[in-house]
Amino acid sequence: MRVQRSTIERLDRPSAYFNRPGNKKRRYDNKDQRDADDEQRAEQKQDEEEERLKNATTLYVGNLSFYTTEEQIYELFSKCGEIKRLVMGLDRINKTPCGFCFVEYYTHQDALDCMKYIGGTKLDERIIRTDLDLGFEEGRQYGRGKSGGQVRDEYREDYDEGRGGLGRAIAAERERERERERQGRDHDDGRLR
Amino acid sequence: MRPWHEECQAIANLFTDNWDDELLRGNFVDLVLQLAVEQPLKTPFLAAVVLIANGDKPEIVDLLLLKLAGLVEKKIAEGEWRDVKLYLKFAACLQGCLNGDGVFPVLEELFSRAVDLQTASSEDTIGTEIVKIILLTIPYIMATGSPEEWAQKAADLMEKTEIIAGEPHALQALIEPYHRENADESQQTQSLMSLLQTQLQSEANNGWALSCLPRPWEFPLKDVEQQSKINNAEKHALPSINIPQTVVAGPKPLFPEVYISVYSQQDVESVPPVTSVASSLIRDALLDSINIIHYNRNVTARQLIDLDCYFSPRTFAPRATPFDRLRDIEPPKSTWKPEDVAVDAVFSQLFLLPNPEQKLVYYHSVLTEACKLAPAAIAPSLGRAIRFLYRNAPQMDLELSYRFMDWFSHHLSNFGFTWKWTEWVDDLELNNLHPRKAFIIGAIDKEIRLSFARRIRDTLPEPYQVLIAPEKDQDSPPFKFANNDVPFAEEGREMASLLKRKAPDAEIDAVIEKIQSQAIDREIDALVASTDVFVTSVLFVGSKSLSHVLAAIERSKDRLADFGAASDAARTQIVDAVMGFWSIHPGVAICIIEKLLNYSILTPLTVVNWALTVRAGKTYGSALALEEVYELVFNTVVKVTGRVRQVVVKANSPDGMTDDETLAQETKNMRSLFVAIEDALASWATGSKDETIEASTGDGNSVREKQVQRWGQRWLRVFKRRSAIEEAFLVEAAKEKERRKALAEELASASGDVAIPDAPAGEEANGGDSAAVVA
Repeated sequence: MRVQRSTIERLDRPSAYFNRPGNKKRRYDNKDQRDADDEQRAEQKQDEEEERLKNATTLYVGNLSFYTTEEQIYELFSKCGEIKRLVMGLDRINKTPCGFCFVEYYTHQDALDCMKYIGGTKLDERIIRTDLDLGFEEGRQYGRGKSGGQVRDEYREDYDEGRGGLGRAIAAERERERERERQGRDHDDGRLR
Repeated sequence: MRPWHEECQAIANLFTDNWDDELLRGNFVDLVLQLAVEQPLKTPFLAAVVLIANGDKPEIVDLLLLKLAGLVEKKIAEGEWRDVKLYLKFAACLQGCLNGDGVFPVLEELFSRAVDLQTASSEDTIGTEIVKIILLTIPYIMATGSPEEWAQKAADLMEKTEIIAGEPHALQALIEPYHRENADESQQTQSLMSLLQTQLQSEANNGWALSCLPRPWEFPLKDVEQQSKINNAEKHALPSINIPQTVVAGPKPLFPEVYISVYSQQDVESVPPVTSVASSLIRDALLDSINIIHYNRNVTARQLIDLDCYFSPRTFAPRATPFDRLRDIEPPKSTWKPEDVAVDAVFSQLFLLPNPEQKLVYYHSVLTEACKLAPAAIAPSLGRAIRFLYRNAPQMDLELSYRFMDWFSHHLSNFGFTWKWTEWVDDLELNNLHPRKAFIIGAIDKEIRLSFARRIRDTLPEPYQVLIAPEKDQDSPPFKFANNDVPFAEEGREMASLLKRKAPDAEIDAVIEKIQSQAIDREIDALVASTDVFVTSVLFVGSKSLSHVLAAIERSKDRLADFGAASDAARTQIVDAVMGFWSIHPGVAICIIEKLLNYSILTPLTVVNWALTVRAGKTYGSALALEEVYELVFNTVVKVTGRVRQVVVKANSPDGMTDDETLAQETKNMRSLFVAIEDALASWATGSKDETIEASTGDGNSVREKQVQRWGQRWLRVFKRRSAIEEAFLVEAAKEKERRKALAEELASASGDVAIPDAPAGEEANGGDSAAVVA
């Protein structure tokens, strides 16, 4: 039996990130047919993922500041229930916090409540993101970006003070540009004199 | 924007125009019934759609009523009383198209059950709940058409309900939100029920004007044709609803309710006064929506901001009217601020005893979202609520004071920690035992726990700076054994270095023996001394972060357990060392104690004893005014009671695995914990504590002594209530177990002959599109 769908969207469902539909996009001549198929596939996919997460007690927490401490996370997340375990996300190379963590509760209900009441609110003055997770496994605490942190911090174009300023790849690129400019300017200076 | 009667007509026509679509017909019925319990603010509008559709396709009403009756029956059987209320509210809105007396016979039969229950026991809560439902359904019937038609019926019913509604409930004293000094009986908050009864009575005397309720089925004079079509449409019989002889309390614990408002002491009325039935009707409708839509706080907040759309026009002042401008509004225009009404409703849940339906943090999140959606309208209303609560904090129940503090700090953390602290500057002169000063200290500390000291200092005016000690800037506390003047300094440092390099047990044993023999020489408790050195060293080694300390405890948990088991004094010393080491960041200390309880290194009794006897004793009672001490005891009690409840639920489940012995043991532990708490607090509350007498300046009447006594009394009330509520839970659970047993026996003897309840309606997923039409 299918669970009756609510007339209001629920905040305690896995996010679109978890439900990323397969990247294969079939072509249809008939648009309606395609839409119906896509929808059906997406729905099926969603059902499968929800099935896998139906007892989840762990949350992935994102968009933290690099400076947010475990104590602050405990303080906020305990409002939904006792925390069983907290694993900070670390820069693979420096072993310093890199802006995400896993929070594990004792019960599935506490994890759902956290999705509803804490996801999308502020911690350390940043809007944080929560997502149901299948559970922490060793190794997942490390950033998977090229320079050790999270991938999103490699190419970020906005300046985010809480997450190390500009994206690291971009910052490195800018630094090289500045270097070239400086050399060029020195050269110009020399010529003018 | 179209007026709502046109909107309802358009939906009704869209539906009746497509009547031949059988799937649509079924979906329509299911969706209407689903909306009635999921978005109850829309119920009158749903009813209007149905009433209009009745003009063209009367069959739809029969289809709908059949399912509705089944649902009411099912929900009564399950004890889902809110759903019963919401379906009856919907039925009441349809009274205009019902045969005979419509919904009244159902209410009358329900009442007879309530009478039976109340006669059987004065502590019954189901009967009270039923009467509340009856009283809240009557106005929706009376708003459907000509009130004269039903006035006699309503009067007859209300004459009967008065006996139950007027009687204060046995449990009411427990859930009273105020705990006044020198309280007298007359100040007791009125129960929701007696209030409602009085309000309805005066509404009856007023010809049932019910001016706040929307009547979207009424068309303007120019649409006389449409109006008469509705009025003269076919009438339908409400299918009979079978109410079982014994009704059940259902999954949600039932308690009597009182009406509270944070806007009650104003010179201009910004919310409906308790004399008006509007206060109860609007509050009830909002609370249903707030508690039901817990799974999407954004929608809850949106419905609260839009609440003026769901009641009759002119019920409220224009949105975002500043409070100061309410004075300029000429009567009879309304001065009720929709924002105040919304905020008031959420606060009534935050301050609901014993507990609101959802976790407290849900109500925090609703206020946060409302503030984000309409900051200019909501923020000033919150500001006035905060001032009211701050002013009244000393007279509030202590548990509620702390809920206020917790919400306040959490809310500020979502809005850049901005608050007009300057207006409380004068209160900084008060001593730390004054409830308002204690609030300021506690709230700032909670802010720091969500942020960090330097940040919070920046948000506070100069006079507050002294409240944040410079040590608060340190992430890790200092190691007291770094100082040679401290006894066992050398051994402490040695212990820390052994723990750091994860030295073998034998080396640690050697240091412990050294400490113990020295302690014996100095004639101090050897176990306590060695416990202190060991625990403090573990804490120091793990001081970098919570995961470090948890790992350090994990590594030493066997030894810690041995220390804990050695003697009461040693066990108490563990708590003392943790709270002492982390005194600058009490949040961390509380977290560590929680883990030590999980490991059974500490017992709940030790924690409570440390807080209420050791710590409170050393400070001559001052510690009773500290947030972290309360939090420590409260969390410990919640842990213990939660454990008992878990065991009970397991024991009551059909495949009950838990044996009665476990339950008996857990219950016994819980009871002795409550006894210990009450004993310790009683002596503070009466001023008979040794330390009180010791510190007394004479006749026991100094300001300070009185303050400490008052804290003792406030604490005592909280934990007496907790204890009473757990006892009530155990009684209910035992009853439920008996009921199930009887049911199982009945099933066994009459195998096969048992009626299976109808499958829930609307099993098929309803189309999101059709939801959008009504939404």
